[in-house]
Amino acid sequence: MSKRSLPRLLQTPAVIMLLLWMLVPLSMTLYFSFIRYVLNSTRRPEWTTPALSNWRGFGNYEYVLFNAKDFWFAVQNSLFIVGSILVLTVVLGLALAMLVNRSFPGRGIVRVLLISPFFVMPAVNAVLWINMILDPVLGLNGIAVDGLNNIIAGLKDFPVIGSFFAMWPDIVPMSFRATQTSAYAVIIMVTWQWTPFAVLIFMTSLQSEDESQKEAAILDGANAWSRFRNLTVPHLGRPIAIVVMIQSIFHLSLYAEIEIVSRGNGNKNLPYLIGEFSSNNIGAASAAGIFAVIVANIVALFLLRMVGKNMMD
Amino acid sequence: MATITQSTKFGSAFWTVLAWVIALIFFFPIFWMIFTSFKTDADAVKPEFLFKFTPTLENYLNMTENYDYWRFAINSVITSTFATLLALVVGIPAAYAMAFDPSRHTKDILMWMLSTKMLPAAAVLYPMTFLTKNFLGVFDTHFLIIIVLCLINLPIVIWMLFTYFKEIPKEIIEAGKMDGVTTWGEIKDILIPLAWGGVASTALLTFIFCWNEAYWTVRLTTTEAATLSKLIEGNRAPEGLFFGRLSAVSTAAVGPIIVLGWFCQKQLVRGLTFGAVK
Repeated sequence: MSKRSLPRLLQTPAVIMLLLWMLVPLSMTLYFSFIRYVLNSTRRPEWTTPALSNWRGFGNYEYVLFNAKDFWFAVQNSLFIVGSILVLTVVLGLALAMLVNRSFPGRGIVRVLLISPFFVMPAVNAVLWINMILDPVLGLNGIAVDGLNNIIAGLKDFPVIGSFFAMWPDIVPMSFRATQTSAYAVIIMVTWQWTPFAVLIFMTSLQSEDESQKEAAILDGANAWSRFRNLTVPHLGRPIAIVVMIQSIFHLSLYAEIEIVSRGNGNKNLPYLIGEFSSNNIGAASAAGIFAVIVANIVALFLLRMVGKNMMD
Repeated sequence: MATITQSTKFGSAFWTVLAWVIALIFFFPIFWMIFTSFKTDADAVKPEFLFKFTPTLENYLNMTENYDYWRFAINSVITSTFATLLALVVGIPAAYAMAFDPSRHTKDILMWMLSTKMLPAAAVLYPMTFLTKNFLGVFDTHFLIIIVLCLINLPIVIWMLFTYFKEIPKEIIEAGKMDGVTTWGEIKDILIPLAWGGVASTALLTFIFCWNEAYWTVRLTTTEAATLSKLIEGNRAPEGLFFGRLSAVSTAAVGPIIVLGWFCQKQLVRGLTFGAVK
């Protein structure tokens, strides 16, 4: 055996496994996206099995783009959810990383408490938040608003200020299962789960910041704000980009949270819509799937370029 | 300088308290879940028992009866453990080859492997169901879930191991070659003992990812191989009737993993950023 062939042999199983995993299902999706393939079609039984004779060209893509009523809503909603989560996690993550990146009593415990949400399984995260915390009647949300209403009602009996509070209406707790608000519930729970991730990354990055540069800046009389702006912010540009891209890839395929909060009612995202199509119209599901792949690849391309630059050193 | 130290003394106390408060807020939902798990279902929804109640273990004692918890838990343990082991068995030789005998294409292969991680699962949902149900007949089996969990984590496993292996001086491996050690011997007797910490934390993190996976484990199982994700997802809307027992089963599902997670928070950065943040 030549000296070169052994290493190649050692990585073969991994390469073959991943190649099959990537190519086989994806080429099936590609194929299905070009044929008529409807599982429950009683009118045209020949469409219920995949066959080249059912060729539809770009018909499924056209259908998904222009006729399927939820597609654009799902795209818009996906972007709204992912965008909101990104803004919240980056802002919170930066603030918290700065806060924790000093030595203070109990720092180890604070870190452990902060990181914990990241390890909660998504299904538990969603069930816990939507039922026990955000529920407008039985959850803490409802209980807190009830308590607030009671306090206000109590204040109404006081002289002078009572007449002021008498004008206040009862506060109605927000329901997070409604059509318009279920996306907020998803944003809240995922932000809670992923802020710790952002904190960890930013903290790692802050620790590698050049301390001597900072000290020199202090000696030169730079104040805290200008040190932050001119030294820390440029240093954090890269980790911010990484946090944004990795989260985009994960959150573009959010599923369990959407399903658990409202079964996608008024709050579909692209993966959820594909799941719905998949119960009947496979052609449309596949075309929508190809769109999802394209979107994910755009993000992945940027991410991989950054990773690649850093890789060999 | 004296003024700076004095003015920051109060500031420092303030920031410390703030850090503690925020950390407690972040942990609160988990605390609340654990807290509620010791209430009866009836007490759990009554505001008057919010903090004052008689703690009970009945939710934990009845977990089998209420949810068949152990069946799902055992499935989670089996699938996550074997998927992790399989990923290591396939990943260690690959990462070894890439780290110590890189070719012109090693970088491209690694990047390509990472890119498979970035494909949206939903895009191949139907083909996967079709293949496993109609074609291979492995739908809802432990075998299938082990393979799938292994495949979705394999890129991260290889990547992490690669970065750990690269930290080992090449000379040590070369020296082994000179002494006529076989490749298998090199991996077993030199590499793994040297990179033991890296291998262990890779395994730990992979296990956590497998345990928490909630797309394929839910979509590709019905009963036989259903994991804890599936169990919780199936009880998504208890309508407030079962907060106590639901909290107990949720605590049992995530508790051990959170504790494991505490041990590998540092490795998380390496595992999820593919070495792009140092």
